[in-house]
Amino acid sequence: MSLLERHRNIIDFALSSLGRRWKKNLALTLVYAFIVFTLASVIFFTEAVKREARAVLKGAPEIVVQRLMAGRHDLIPAGYIDILKKITGVGQVKGRLWGYYFEPSTGANYTIVASGDPPLEPGTIAVGQGVSRTLHAAVGDLIPLRGTDGAYVSFEVARVFSHASELVSADLIEMPAADLRALFGVPAGFFTDLTLKVRNEKELVVVADKIRRLLPDTRPILRDEILRTYDSLFDWRSGLLLVVFAGAVAAFIIFAWDKATSLSMDERREMGVLKAVGWKTSEVIAMKSWEGIIVSLTAFFGGILIAYVHVFFSSALLFEPVLKGWAVLYPRFQLIPHIDPYQVLALFFLTVVPYTVATVIPSWNAATVDPDSIMRL
Amino acid sequence: MFGRKSDIFFVGVALGAAALGLMTAHADYRIAGAGPSLMEKAALVERLELTDLCLFTDARYARHPSVADRHSAFQDSPMSAEHFPSGTVVLPPPHLCPQ
Amino acid sequence: MVELKHITKVFNRNRPDEFTALLDVSLLVRAGKVTVFKGPSGSGKTTLLSIIGAMAKPTSGRVFLEGKEITSLSERFLTEIRRRTFGFIFQQFHLIRGISAIENVMLPATTTGEKHATLRDRALRLLDLFGLSAKARSRVEWLSGGEVQRVAIARALVNNPAVIIADEPTAHLDTRLSMDFLGIMERLNAEGKTIIIASHDPLVYESGMVSRVVEMRDGEIRGPRQSA
Ligand SMILES: Nc1ncnc2c1ncn2[C@@H]1O[C@H](COP(=O)(O)OP(=O)(O)OP(=O)(O)O)[C@@H](O)[C@H]1O
Ligand SMILES: [Mg+2]
Repeated sequence: MSLLERHRNIIDFALSSLGRRWKKNLALTLVYAFIVFTLASVIFFTEAVKREARAVLKGAPEIVVQRLMAGRHDLIPAGYIDILKKITGVGQVKGRLWGYYFEPSTGANYTIVASGDPPLEPGTIAVGQGVSRTLHAAVGDLIPLRGTDGAYVSFEVARVFSHASELVSADLIEMPAADLRALFGVPAGFFTDLTLKVRNEKELVVVADKIRRLLPDTRPILRDEILRTYDSLFDWRSGLLLVVFAGAVAAFIIFAWDKATSLSMDERREMGVLKAVGWKTSEVIAMKSWEGIIVSLTAFFGGILIAYVHVFFSSALLFEPVLKGWAVLYPRFQLIPHIDPYQVLALFFLTVVPYTVATVIPSWNAATVDPDSIMRL
Repeated sequence: MFGRKSDIFFVGVALGAAALGLMTAHADYRIAGAGPSLMEKAALVERLELTDLCLFTDARYARHPSVADRHSAFQDSPMSAEHFPSGTVVLPPPHLCPQ
Repeated sequence: MVELKHITKVFNRNRPDEFTALLDVSLLVRAGKVTVFKGPSGSGKTTLLSIIGAMAKPTSGRVFLEGKEITSLSERFLTEIRRRTFGFIFQQFHLIRGISAIENVMLPATTTGEKHATLRDRALRLLDLFGLSAKARSRVEWLSGGEVQRVAIARALVNNPAVIIADEPTAHLDTRLSMDFLGIMERLNAEGKTIIIASHDPLVYESGMVSRVVEMRDGEIRGPRQSA
């Protein structure tokens, strides 16, 4: 009880003390909160994308077989399907047809995929929201696409993929396989790549090995690898964002360090007065710790809450320039928030503890002054 | 008379903690409500046999990182000299990295 | 109340600038009296006050507080004793700038674990006693010299100490404020407080309320060893 009361009193004084240099302390807290905000935004964003990728891509083909020619991805002969089917453990083998389409008038890149099941009517397409936005196309509109022979072919938009699916469908144009072949000039008997279903998941690696031996000009890609791609893709430790940001953090550390370590003459005198009027060394240090805790805790709460709003309510507005890059077509998606308590805890310890320690350590010296020194000032 | 200054601190911490709690609750709420949209996306992935998320559309390796070319210049590694900003975020897929 | 036995204080011992500020000082300060240390600058008054007030430890000799030796106590205990027994008024008053008068007054009791409300009431009553209740929430740098002095006295009194120690309290005050100060000290003494003042201001040591004047020179007590 009296311990609580004592610390409440000390917090009273610490707040008064911070209030005296409120402009400086406010600036410090804001900069600090901004750093927490950026870190937390990156963590929230990458974690959410990773989770989404894992959940959504669970249904991706178990193995994709690409043919490589001269080191580049090339069309794969349909004859390979029968060869692959003979491998024990392999279930279904299907040919996939897809490609990229650059639209010169808008400057956007689309992904054209062959229609799945049920197939689209000939001459019709289904488009993603991003395609619809950039081409101002709605259901029923005709969209001309330029074929390999230079002639334009018009397709009728039969369907627009929902907003909810934008994270996978924004730039998609789905069209009947025959139309795709005609548009891109893919010869009959060839596919873009092949997809495999394997009966027993445990055999994936063995099957991949067999494929590599049986068809040396191909490359099997496992779904596991795809999922791992997304993990490493958004691994938050990587990326220029954080590299650039590291500079800001370093600047802040220097700033905070300077502020914390160089106690002003006034502050030293005050600590002497506190000692003289009967504060123990430990109490003076406790007061300084509270100062540090108040500043860093405010920054922590502020930063993390604004980061949450930023990533999950404004769809990471500030990251958009980086994510968007040169792309004309930018998917608009609402990520599903996921908060990892360990990451929040780690962020807490990375922000509150170092700052508090940085405030306390330089005070140590000043707090151990002899109380009588104040009598000679 | 006047509230104590430490009360401001305690109220602030309580509010901050409550806001964190609210944030977690909101996240849970959104996760619970995300089922249909996840299912829709998963169904689309399965139907069209998609392999990648549509996050970047500016480069092939960024749009479809999992099936990117292995050997062509400027496409294997975001660390290589290329001019797309997304290359700073996209890492080479693990199956393209030397073990 | 406080007894000093053969107190010597040496600064910078074993260094070229070694300096003996107090030499073999023995003294008994009686409870309930007003004792004044007078002497020229550098004679060791402040040093002596800091040893009496348990702020500094002597190089040799022993200090007794109400019969108990406190010379060998650790800093923690000394602080505890100092906080309970002594109220200090410094030469420059040393109020903490930027915070209010009442916060300054509460400072010595901030870390005792006392309830905030009672502490606050006590501080308010003290300020009221000195006609400062209107200034309780003012920042101290806005106060006049006389107000600063009275806030400093209020701060010295907040823990209800038995002994008030004042070092050159009138050095920065004009005659009227000095008289005010002495009036307050007289009142406190009448209430039973022991008062110890270091001063070379005649106004102080010639004042009628002073029970005993101890003259110091070069770190030693001069004249007859009287004890009032
Ligand atoms: N920390 C120290 N280190 C070295 N010398 C010191 C120290 N503190 C005090 N002294 C010396 O001790 C002597 C006595 O100092 P003290 O402050 O007690 O004198 P004083 O009687 O209070 O003088 P004044 O009337 O000017 O306040 C002085 O000569 C001073 O220089
Ligand atoms: Mg002096």
